[in-house]
Amino acid sequence: MNQLPLLLTGIAVAVALAGAVVALVLPERRAPALLLVASCIAATLALVAGGAVLLGGASGDRLLWSFPVLGPIAVGTTPLGALFACVAAFVYIPTSIYSLRYLDRYRHEYSLRAFSSWYCVLLAAIIAIFICRDIVSFFIVWEVVAIASAALVAYEWRRERNVRAAFIMLAMSEAGTIAAMAAMLLARAGSGSLLFGVPAGGLSAVAAWTIFMLSFFGFGVKAGLLPVNSWLPRAHPVAPGNVSALLSGVILNLGVYGIVLVNVELVPVRFAGEGIVVLAIGAASALIGILYATIEDDLKVMLAYSSVENLGIAVTALGVAFVFTAAHQSVFAALGFAAGIYHVANHSAYKGLLFLGAATLDARLGGRSMNRLGGLIRILPATTAFFFVGVLAIAAIPPLNGFVSEWLTFQALLRAVELSPLGLRIVFALCGAILALTAALAVTCFVKAFGMTFLGKARTPLPRVGEAPSTMRLGMALLALECIGLGVLPTYVLPVIGRAAADFFGSGTIVTALIPQFFRPAAPPNPLPPDFVATFHALGAQIGMGLPGRGWVAMLRGGSANPVVFAMSTTYLTFIIIALLGVTYGVVALVTRRRAIDRSRVWAGGLRSLLPEMTYTATGFSNPVRVIFNAIFNPTEVENDRETIYEHFRSAIRRRREDVFSADRVLAEPVAQAVRRFASFLARMHHGRLPAYVGYALGTLVVALAIVIWM
Amino acid sequence: MSWFWRGLRAGVLTEGPAPEALPESLSPGLPRATEFSTPAQAAEIAARCPTGALEAQDRVVGVQPDRCVDCMRCKSAQEWRHDVRWAHPDAVERFGSRFKHSIHVRIIDAGDCGSCLNELAQLTGPSYNLHRFGIFITPTPRQADVLLVVGPVTRQMAGPLKVAYEAMPSPKRVLAVGACAASGGIFGPSVMSAGGAADAVPVDLTVPGCPPPPLAIIGALRALCGQEPPA
Amino acid sequence: MLSDVLNVLRSIWPSIEWRVDDGSIVAVLPREDLRAVAKYFSAQRWRLGTIVATEGRHELELRYCFYATAHPGWAQLIIALNPVDRTIASLTPVTIAADWFEREIEDLFSVRFAQHPRLGDFVLHDDQWAENAGLMRPFVQSGEDLPVQRREWRPKRVLEEEGAFVMPVGPVYSGGAESALFLLETVGEDVVRATPRLFYKYRAIEKIAQGRTAADALLLAERCAGTSAIGNGLAYCRAVERALGATLTRRSEALRGFFAELERLRHHMTSIREICESTSLSVAASQALWLEEQFLRISGELCGHRYLFGVLAIGGLQRDFADPALEACLRKADALRPKVDALRGALERSSSFLDRIERVGIVDREAAQTFELVGPFARAAAISADMRAVQPYAPYSGLEFNVPIEEEGDGYARLRVLFAEMEESVRIMAALCRDLPADGTRIDAAMRAGRGLGWSEAPRGASLAWVELEADGTVSRYRLTPPSFRNWHGFHVATESFAFQDFPIVLATLDLSVAENDR
Repeated sequence: MNQLPLLLTGIAVAVALAGAVVALVLPERRAPALLLVASCIAATLALVAGGAVLLGGASGDRLLWSFPVLGPIAVGTTPLGALFACVAAFVYIPTSIYSLRYLDRYRHEYSLRAFSSWYCVLLAAIIAIFICRDIVSFFIVWEVVAIASAALVAYEWRRERNVRAAFIMLAMSEAGTIAAMAAMLLARAGSGSLLFGVPAGGLSAVAAWTIFMLSFFGFGVKAGLLPVNSWLPRAHPVAPGNVSALLSGVILNLGVYGIVLVNVELVPVRFAGEGIVVLAIGAASALIGILYATIEDDLKVMLAYSSVENLGIAVTALGVAFVFTAAHQSVFAALGFAAGIYHVANHSAYKGLLFLGAATLDARLGGRSMNRLGGLIRILPATTAFFFVGVLAIAAIPPLNGFVSEWLTFQALLRAVELSPLGLRIVFALCGAILALTAALAVTCFVKAFGMTFLGKARTPLPRVGEAPSTMRLGMALLALECIGLGVLPTYVLPVIGRAAADFFGSGTIVTALIPQFFRPAAPPNPLPPDFVATFHALGAQIGMGLPGRGWVAMLRGGSANPVVFAMSTTYLTFIIIALLGVTYGVVALVTRRRAIDRSRVWAGGLRSLLPEMTYTATGFSNPVRVIFNAIFNPTEVENDRETIYEHFRSAIRRRREDVFSADRVLAEPVAQAVRRFASFLARMHHGRLPAYVGYALGTLVVALAIVIWM
Repeated sequence: MSWFWRGLRAGVLTEGPAPEALPESLSPGLPRATEFSTPAQAAEIAARCPTGALEAQDRVVGVQPDRCVDCMRCKSAQEWRHDVRWAHPDAVERFGSRFKHSIHVRIIDAGDCGSCLNELAQLTGPSYNLHRFGIFITPTPRQADVLLVVGPVTRQMAGPLKVAYEAMPSPKRVLAVGACAASGGIFGPSVMSAGGAADAVPVDLTVPGCPPPPLAIIGALRALCGQEPPA
Repeated sequence: MLSDVLNVLRSIWPSIEWRVDDGSIVAVLPREDLRAVAKYFSAQRWRLGTIVATEGRHELELRYCFYATAHPGWAQLIIALNPVDRTIASLTPVTIAADWFEREIEDLFSVRFAQHPRLGDFVLHDDQWAENAGLMRPFVQSGEDLPVQRREWRPKRVLEEEGAFVMPVGPVYSGGAESALFLLETVGEDVVRATPRLFYKYRAIEKIAQGRTAADALLLAERCAGTSAIGNGLAYCRAVERALGATLTRRSEALRGFFAELERLRHHMTSIREICESTSLSVAASQALWLEEQFLRISGELCGHRYLFGVLAIGGLQRDFADPALEACLRKADALRPKVDALRGALERSSSFLDRIERVGIVDREAAQTFELVGPFARAAAISADMRAVQPYAPYSGLEFNVPIEEEGDGYARLRVLFAEMEESVRIMAALCRDLPADGTRIDAAMRAGRGLGWSEAPRGASLAWVELEADGTVSRYRLTPPSFRNWHGFHVATESFAFQDFPIVLATLDLSVAENDR
């Protein structure tokens, strides 16, 4: 048992906590630098520790001490936790670098010390949560995460919107925590121990379902799943830009971690029905999320809704894994699991990048409404390039990372043919269709986001600003590199995920299933026809041979009738794309070498030039989606005034609509209304008449007595 | 579907090759140089012309067809020609082999009264069927080989006309259709209009007439792509 | 009748000198009474025919011409303006129909209309000319006299909504469309409002007509809109003839009517063709094109010109037409009727076509009334507004004919009006042909100084002309108010909220000519 990673993680937590304390005493202007140093050291340590666990092996649980009332506290590294910690560190490091200069905009207005302190606290908690191996410590750290993130959302406390959003976020998070805690306690009830490491006893079907539903609800809140994500589109956009990146790139992952922890490790899924619930909620979240993202004009709100979509996709993949687990098809379960976790990691990389990009626009131009921006490629070329990488990735354009995980998700869904019940197949098919629609809408959404913001003509006069400071660009560049790396080299990423999954789906399942065996020349027993093997060797199976790893093609092998179920290589694709672009460029250059090229203005129907107000707006671009899915958006018309002068001379048409997020409409508003009604009912009891109060006291006494006697 | 059958039932309505002489139902024709018995008579005839298309020289009244606006005042005395070859080049230049097969035409209305445009609309109709010659009307100058200008080029349309000309890729040709585009016609040059398309863009070929008959416009377009020689 | 109106006016405004002259109530008003009087006329359902501005060396005069709708009769309210001050209260608050007249006069005469909600960038575009350029003022002799000023022009926007933008269509758009710029205000998909920016094709006909002989100015009147040469030319001829006090032969009156109906026939066929084209119904469009060509050929065969140029002359017609030729023309037109009917029947039976023109571009009766729309546009909205019936003139005064009316005011109603009017036109032609008098086709009207108002029902609606002649027969003022100018004013009513892809259809069914408006 390797204890070093655990030690490293402990040091990382300590460094971060120390940073949080020191930040409070340092001078204000030093705070960002401290934040950078402390969080980079801590995150790097966590990264190293995580890497060591994934490559070397887990530590096993280690009992720290036992509280008299609360019970034992245990820590330990697990491959799953290490993987999530690595993902978190991969977002945290660039974001911290980015923060150094980004925080300039808050100087003199808000306390940078407070920010740095909370920032480090959050980091410490996030690193710590992945080594908590018992209910008590887990939920204590969980609460720290919730409070620290709420504090960061409310950082700009002078703005009412922020404070409100933080409160809503905190309140919903608490509700989720209670549900999750209840589920965990129920799950531990069988084993009689609060430690995760002790296997759960046999649970009845009812108990298993209760645990599943409670935990899925509880962690679903954190993961931003429908219908309990009303907080997400409120909190993510108002938070400072770097915090938004963390919220989407790190905090949401905790929800997924929780779902996996309960349903894979603590109480492994037994019923296909549980998987179906996860699948359906995931697909619904994906579709609804992308729909709202598409019609949104505020860049950050759009990104927030898009987070709902992406977590939805990841959870859909997990749902597939759960269904296959229940059906005892561990290969396909592992496939779904890998797709889901891969997507979570991808989402962290590109959403972090995109939020930092949006924050850059916010900081440089003081605005992020796509209807006002436009043509930024001319003033912010580097930011544009990074944002473009993020957009390609999130729109699942090969060879970037979004494509890999979405492709795996689809492949996992298509494995529905391996399931025998017709109902399950139908559900899989439906979810596949929904995801396909989601993918198409995502392209629309991000064509709009990129096109409206960075291309074309500025819709409002832009301030003359230069490119963002180098540290901000470096932060974005690192994340962009992650997006490219995760996309181009999936065959190096999948084995890592495979190690995290090894405990649950059998060691090497993912690697064996996805990265084919016949990459190694003579690996008996070889069930495939020799000529086929030869072809695939010639085709490129051997190209990556000299390099570490197992090759550059991810494929699933079938029986002899269909030797390859699916295969994909973004690595080769990258070479091909580069080659095609190069050839195209060369041909064009060659053909036009001797030709004069006429350059003339854009043809605008004879107008001398198009005016800024004639440029397509983001709202206009996405209006078809709004019209088609009107039933879902169900917008309320707030204003529709037709103003005339002298009765007939039309001078103004004023219109305003409001789209209420469907989660708010379906759940949040009715709940809020019920609470308000209950509160007013309680208020009615307080009418100030003494006999009534005496009556209440008496009644309570009687009820209490009755309970005591009955027990 | 019923429209399909209706269309088939109507049969071919396109008329064959252009007649040697245009009947009045197609065009009033164009005045041509005429010799009168006395110089005085010639002067009287020439004086009837409101646009200066007629010019008396001794006993002969010469004609500048570009200026004729079909006021019909000289019709009773002057001889009129009824052929179809109305187009005449400003600068003798042809498209050459590159555009022999098919050309695309962008029509620009630079102040037309509507009759030239109406005749242009007839071009694509079943009676004339311009497309059989491989000549197509295109909505964007980016794809156009020929800029077909109608109207005297008003001062507020001169800008858009030039922008459209600049937007066309080379090689390109300009065809001025109608008396207004050829010479300014009845309107110009005057306070708000130029003396025809040539004042704004380089014109390669002009077709007189007010409006020119569709057959003459087809002839001019075919001349531009080298399918037949201009007059 | 006119005398009753006169009595009422005299009783309300006793200080004003009201008189009747050649079928018109004429009065010189003090500036401050204008609004009240105009309001009175509007309330009596009189329509604002035109506003004529005239500027001499030292005087500036505005002449507001109203016509009654209940009985024949005109009213001309004359305001003498101070040529230095050049300010007058706008009539737009009282009658919205004055809106565009005032904008035009502001651009061309630099008259300031107080309380007008929107002046500038109308006839003379703001990005090319200085405001108050005053093109029609005497000091402007050539284009070089106009003060040029390149300013940035920004479209006036009405729609205020998050993400609203202006989609420009034109001035050069579509295959062979007339040049005009349309500013479609939208938030995507549905257009909330469309505003035309016209006068790209402004040829300043009124300016060039000044100083030309009455006969030469007729060429301008005919070529204002080549597709309604007779309609606008007739209004001009009638104005000149009234200025000269000429009485025409009955034969020339009848023949003018015959040609006017022939033109209406052909013009309506063109409009129907454009509607078919706009709905991409190619077979129907082709058949309509063919029919249109047949009407053009009939016209050319009879008159020697396909668009009937050079037919009219001051004092009658340029030449006589033999009765058999006229009858042959009528026969041929009549022979085409079954084909037109077949087209109509087929159109009315194709639901895909009806779906696209029904309930598009709706202008209801009230709007048609308020904006004082004319022609088939108004008749589709249950407003007759036919000058042949409202202010009858020869030869229609002695004729019985129907004015087709539809109620809905949408594209389909306008199509039905067009078809019905074609039928009616053939009937009128036949009636006129039946007993043609033989008293000659032209009188020699002696030239003299004078002024006169003429009107006619052009294919697109009422065309008005005001002519002032010098003693030598040259025109000193020619004011023409073509029907399209009236109807373009109602364009935005028909285009409040429609689907973007319906734009060509709305445009085609409104049957508006840019050339006729731009003059």
